[in-house]
Amino acid sequence: MSEPEQARAGRRWGVPVAEVALIAAVWISLRLAGSAPGLDVGTTDRTVPLPPEVPGFSADAWYLPDDHLLGFVEIPGGAFTMGSDPALDRLAYDIERWSPRVAQGSVDVPTFYMGRYEVTVAQYAAFVRATGRAVVEPSALAPPPDHPVSNVSWTDALAYARWLDDELARGEATPPGLRALLDEGWRVALPTEAQWEKAARGDDGRVYPWGDEPRQDRAVFGARGTAPVGTLECPECPYGLSDMSGNVWEWTRSPYQPYPYDESDDREGLDAEALWIMRGGAFNDGPQNIRAASRGGADPGARRPFIGFRVALVRSAAR
Amino acid sequence: MAARRRRSTRSGPAREPAERTVSRNALYLPLALTGLLGLLSFMPRVQGSVRLTWSFWGAIAVLLVWQAALSLRLRGAGVGRSLTTVFRKQHYVQAMVQLAVFAYWGWYWRPVYEFGGLLLAQLVFAYTVDMLVQWSRRESYVLGFGPFPIIFSINLFLWFRDDWFYLQFLMIAVGFLGKEFVRWQRDGRRVHIFNPSAFALGLFSLVLIATGTTELTWGSEIASTLTLAPFIYTHLFLLGLIVMYFFSITLVAASAAAVLFGGSALYSAWTGVPYFIDSDIPAAVFLGLHLLITDPSTSPRTPPGKMVFGALYGAGVFALYWILGSAGAPTFYDKLLCVPLLNLSVRGIDTLIHRLKASPAWDAFRVDWVFSRPNLAHMAVWVVLFGSMSALGRTDGTHPGDRLPFWIEACQEGRRNACDRLMQLEATYCGDASAWACNELGAAYAEGTITEPDAELSAAYFARACELRFQAACLNLLESDEVARASPRTLDLRLLLRAGGRNLMETPEPELLDRACMHGWGFACERMAAL
Repeated sequence: MSEPEQARAGRRWGVPVAEVALIAAVWISLRLAGSAPGLDVGTTDRTVPLPPEVPGFSADAWYLPDDHLLGFVEIPGGAFTMGSDPALDRLAYDIERWSPRVAQGSVDVPTFYMGRYEVTVAQYAAFVRATGRAVVEPSALAPPPDHPVSNVSWTDALAYARWLDDELARGEATPPGLRALLDEGWRVALPTEAQWEKAARGDDGRVYPWGDEPRQDRAVFGARGTAPVGTLECPECPYGLSDMSGNVWEWTRSPYQPYPYDESDDREGLDAEALWIMRGGAFNDGPQNIRAASRGGADPGARRPFIGFRVALVRSAAR
Repeated sequence: MAARRRRSTRSGPAREPAERTVSRNALYLPLALTGLLGLLSFMPRVQGSVRLTWSFWGAIAVLLVWQAALSLRLRGAGVGRSLTTVFRKQHYVQAMVQLAVFAYWGWYWRPVYEFGGLLLAQLVFAYTVDMLVQWSRRESYVLGFGPFPIIFSINLFLWFRDDWFYLQFLMIAVGFLGKEFVRWQRDGRRVHIFNPSAFALGLFSLVLIATGTTELTWGSEIASTLTLAPFIYTHLFLLGLIVMYFFSITLVAASAAAVLFGGSALYSAWTGVPYFIDSDIPAAVFLGLHLLITDPSTSPRTPPGKMVFGALYGAGVFALYWILGSAGAPTFYDKLLCVPLLNLSVRGIDTLIHRLKASPAWDAFRVDWVFSRPNLAHMAVWVVLFGSMSALGRTDGTHPGDRLPFWIEACQEGRRNACDRLMQLEATYCGDASAWACNELGAAYAEGTITEPDAELSAAYFARACELRFQAACLNLLESDEVARASPRTLDLRLLLRAGGRNLMETPEPELLDRACMHGWGFACERMAAL
């Protein structure tokens, strides 16, 4: 083929080739765009570092406490006294009063299992690493691994509980005793407000988990920051749980409703702005907020350095 | 109808204005412009962002290096460079029309005015790049208003956000390089193939779509805020008449509009829902068919060719809107992506028309009008078409697709694509922080009645709604058997009722409820009655 013929052939094919290339470029762009996520749920991080080990916790079992139920403690069923009587507890808030006529009420709580400790930074990091869940507030994972995780929202706490439930059900590291419970239908969940209060104060109506007076040697409060979970022993506490007072506020699965306590999920109040109950007070609180009956309400999207959570094992489909 | 076989004598290319050589040693000019760009980098807006400042300084550094290299090369060769001035009507008229669009739109959406300094900086950068490109390849640079319509046209469709503004400079450079290097022979002249602004816009659109990074730009805001200006269609129509009068592009714009209006009407009659959700032709597309595809250098010259070109643009936008929507990509790219393809087809369209004209069949169907100025006749038809559409409420009037309850009802009635469109709208509102919309999406994915069930997406939408304090969504996260729903809250209404992007954040609640009631929100009517 002579040079002019080649040039003519090039001119003849140049435009169709360019058009096909343009269409192909659009198609490739759309194919690539199709792999983009539909909902931006924040950055995900599956490379978050995990500590090699945390004393008292099992790195092989999601950094849960190293015992036969991975830290879940049985809270026997039965009635307990909920709310505050200002005659007995001068620090009581109005919202802890059962009704205009009665200061406190009796609530029957079936048996459940409560986590001995607040969920730690290491445990939450294992969850983030496994699921790639966004850490919206990066300082959530900044403290040492045995400190309670904080700066997590109510939805983060729920997601952690759901993940742990799946992991325990599927994982080989689940001890036989715990696996038996799971096989019977027990599920990991956030505790209800009533479950939390019963686990904190038992059934004798005490003001604090250890008695009626605040004690700096029993709870982390009036401090500048969190402490490792379980730092302060509490032999007087009814079920041997740690940090039920202080360290960090703990999310519950109960929406904020005025007393008398109603276990239902308040479907009549859907027009109100969401507010969820947290319990236990935090390191930066005084004696008033760390009482067992003290109730805090928070925006479910709130991520604060003084709000964390602990999980429970409950016999219910609800998580 | 009286018709005579007569050929118009006014359809040939416009005469070139006389060139005037200003200087034979003009390299000082890009240096001065670079200095001006340097001065503009001290604007408060630029100084307010470290990345924007570096974008300016990076652009300045590239320009200086280019000038130094060019200067050394020329000094070595012992030659200079000259400057001639040619002020072409198609440049300055088009630029004035575009400026009128900016002025009117910006009056109702202030970020346009706030962007003025950056627009000026782009013009300075564009002139400098244009000069350097041309002087790198030839002796003389033709100074005129050429860069104005290119820059204005780019900025009527896409701006990068301040932190990514270096990409705006890059887009401009790509436009000018494309104009200089991507050329072909047409009608005996070596001319650029692509409309420079459309080439840059199309190329960058592809990259933004492919990388899922549209949020680096103001693209979606630009597309949705044009309608903040009342009677924007009429405004664009009137400005378009000026361009049509001077440059005989009526057939391009009118045939594109006719295809789009016609396609929308057919689709609506067939399905019972609007094709473009909240308009018969999106305002940004209406702008595009007046000011993006009407560059005489890159569109056909014959009247039939112009009609084919415009009709193809209309069909292309129509098709791309569907393709982009189906792929989950932002649909506002529809008006940009098909222009380079159309530019490439121009020679083919010209050839086709020439062949048709040469065939005996052409003579059988050919009708030559008696008008001595056929463009005026075309404009008259266009005026009638636009007037008819406006009279039918298809342009500036309220549109049924503006109202979310319309889409809810259409989805419940099972109208074609209505549920997809509803979810698309809800996804947009959810992205804007409407908790109600997020909860509705979560419910849709949980129930699986109007879309495929997806537990993970459902939980993600419920979680977003819950974090926005929507109590029903929080309850839905607790995995009850029954999906909880609630009416939109006041904040949701402020987002859901912004037809065309109007800011309702300060609107008093009774007025908001009244507007919601008019949009078909039953609960709002009940609340209004209770007030």
